Amino acid sequence: MSMLELDISGLEMRFPGLDAPVLAIDRLHLPSGGRLAITGASGSGKSTLVNAVTGLETATSGTVSWGGTDITRLPVGRRDAFRAAHIGLVMQDFHLFPGLSAFENVVLPVRLARRLTPAERERALFLLETTGIARPDQHIETLSRGEMQRVAVARALLSKPGVIVADEPTASLDRKTGEEVADLLVRLSREEKATLVVVTHDPALTERLDRRIALDGGRIVEDSGEKRAA
Amino acid sequence: MMNFILADLRRFKGGALAVIVLIALSVALSVTVTLQERAVRLGSARAAEKFDLLVGAAGSETQLALSAVFLQPSPLPLMSGAVLAKLAADPRVDFAAPVGFGDSEAGHPVVGTTTALISALSPKLAEGVLFARLGDAVVGSDVPKQLGAEIKPMHGLADIAGETHTEIVYKVSGRMAPTGTAWDRAILVPIRAVWQLHGMTGGHDHDHDHAGETPEAAAAEEHDHEHAPVDADAAIDEQFEAETPGLPAVLVKPKTIADAYRLRQEYRGETTLAVFPAEVLTRLYATLGDARSLLLAIAIGTQVIVIAAILLVTIMHVGARQRQIGALRAFGAPRRSVVAIVWGELLLLFLAGFVLGVLIGYAGAQLISASLTATTAVRMPVEFAREDMSLAVWFVVLAMLVSILPALLTLRLSPARALKA
Repeated sequence: MSMLELDISGLEMRFPGLDAPVLAIDRLHLPSGGRLAITGASGSGKSTLVNAVTGLETATSGTVSWGGTDITRLPVGRRDAFRAAHIGLVMQDFHLFPGLSAFENVVLPVRLARRLTPAERERALFLLETTGIARPDQHIETLSRGEMQRVAVARALLSKPGVIVADEPTASLDRKTGEEVADLLVRLSREEKATLVVVTHDPALTERLDRRIALDGGRIVEDSGEKRAA
Repeated sequence: MMNFILADLRRFKGGALAVIVLIALSVALSVTVTLQERAVRLGSARAAEKFDLLVGAAGSETQLALSAVFLQPSPLPLMSGAVLAKLAADPRVDFAAPVGFGDSEAGHPVVGTTTALISALSPKLAEGVLFARLGDAVVGSDVPKQLGAEIKPMHGLADIAGETHTEIVYKVSGRMAPTGTAWDRAILVPIRAVWQLHGMTGGHDHDHDHAGETPEAAAAEEHDHEHAPVDADAAIDEQFEAETPGLPAVLVKPKTIADAYRLRQEYRGETTLAVFPAEVLTRLYATLGDARSLLLAIAIGTQVIVIAAILLVTIMHVGARQRQIGALRAFGAPRRSVVAIVWGELLLLFLAGFVLGVLIGYAGAQLISASLTATTAVRMPVEFAREDMSLAVWFVVLAMLVSILPALLTLRLSPARALKA
């Protein structure tokens, strides 16, 4: 899969019982291969934006399109399938499954959908090696937090996604391992030719990305890319 | 998929085990009730098989059948010995064997009869020979007596202590092959020895008219008198005339089924009673069947409660697992896989509990049957039947339906909402 460009227009996310939309973005364009940092205080709508662009939450109105596919218009099952095929997710709390090995965790989403191909098996082992996990058969709960997040990165990359979306990937790590994971994300998104979207309040990570938008009250209040363009 | 389910179950070992045990116990209850009822029914039906037609003095049909088939100790009224003579001479009768109860030895009933009945119960003896003298005895397969061992009959019914007869000591001459009936615990002796022991020499001109009295009542009367010593070496005589003393029951083997019905008709009168033990038992099973229905209803009620409890636990469990389920979906597991995982886990627990329950139930029924056999000698076969399959299928279908509910609940929330839960 090639890199995907992101186009958002007229996106609104509302939650029942709230008058104002939690998120309202008129336009946002991220070219394929772009590396975007999303910042903002908690409650600013960062996570809601991540949920909208990954299809984890249904948008109230507007379009979110990846490489021309408007995921807001896909039925739930197809949207899940699109995410599985094209979007690599990395989350703050890893969401790895205890009782399984590092390797099994990397291939779990694919395995739950269908049979693992030998090529995917190879790729999983290769990704674990690349992310620095020495023993793929090691049980996940015996790994350090930094290693866990690296396994999560390997999992996100297994299906060669066109985009990697990371939600606070370094927030639950100490400074040093956080930097290592940030390195890994930036390096691998380049090597794997994936667009990268990172929600973070980690300045060290923000600095490594080409563009930064800041959210407040669900709206984009600052966009380094636009300034540059202007 | 299976790997994940097993890893997940390992994580919730304690809970999974508790669910399995709960289901297993409730299933075991129904299985035991079903199997045990069948075992009792089959066992007693087989025990009654050899007893085509019973003729006794007028009284309770049930008591006559139970006394003869299961050797249940109870005082039966006596009928005239002339009935035996008449039956023995009847051309429609293959053989007619007297059955005389009353004595016991170490808890084993001593039954007076003829060689014809022994041959009917055990066509081939396991060892030794049939009795030929008044002092000979043939023991059932469960009686712990060697050939040649002495038997000192105690007056009175088994389990109730009485006075030991001193007039005769039987010698074991043979042992029957196992029959799977209560007669495996019996000691069979010549009927004439029993009569002589109790001073019943027969005939209408006897001092006492014993008809209508129980053997022990008759014997209690006799206690005031000198007991006639019995000549243990005298040859047995199995020809019965009208002079024959009174006796509680006669086992009749009719030549044909039509004969059986005719004979039963003829011997149903003011003084005698004729029954097909199988028919009497069928009536008893009807009662047993009611008891089984009740027990089964209780067992099924228990299962419903258990399943409801498990459902509750599962729904709570799924609630607690929303995050995990949300994550599975977020990382690309299709919804059908998520449903299959939750469903599969629950179904696995149900089925494991079911299989374990069937095993426990089977073992339980075996245990109960074994203890029943130990006390009654009636072999109770614990076996599964074809109709059990439909019960099993019902359980599995129900388990599948019930367990899909929590699985479908997992799809209610969007992955993002589930992740936040």
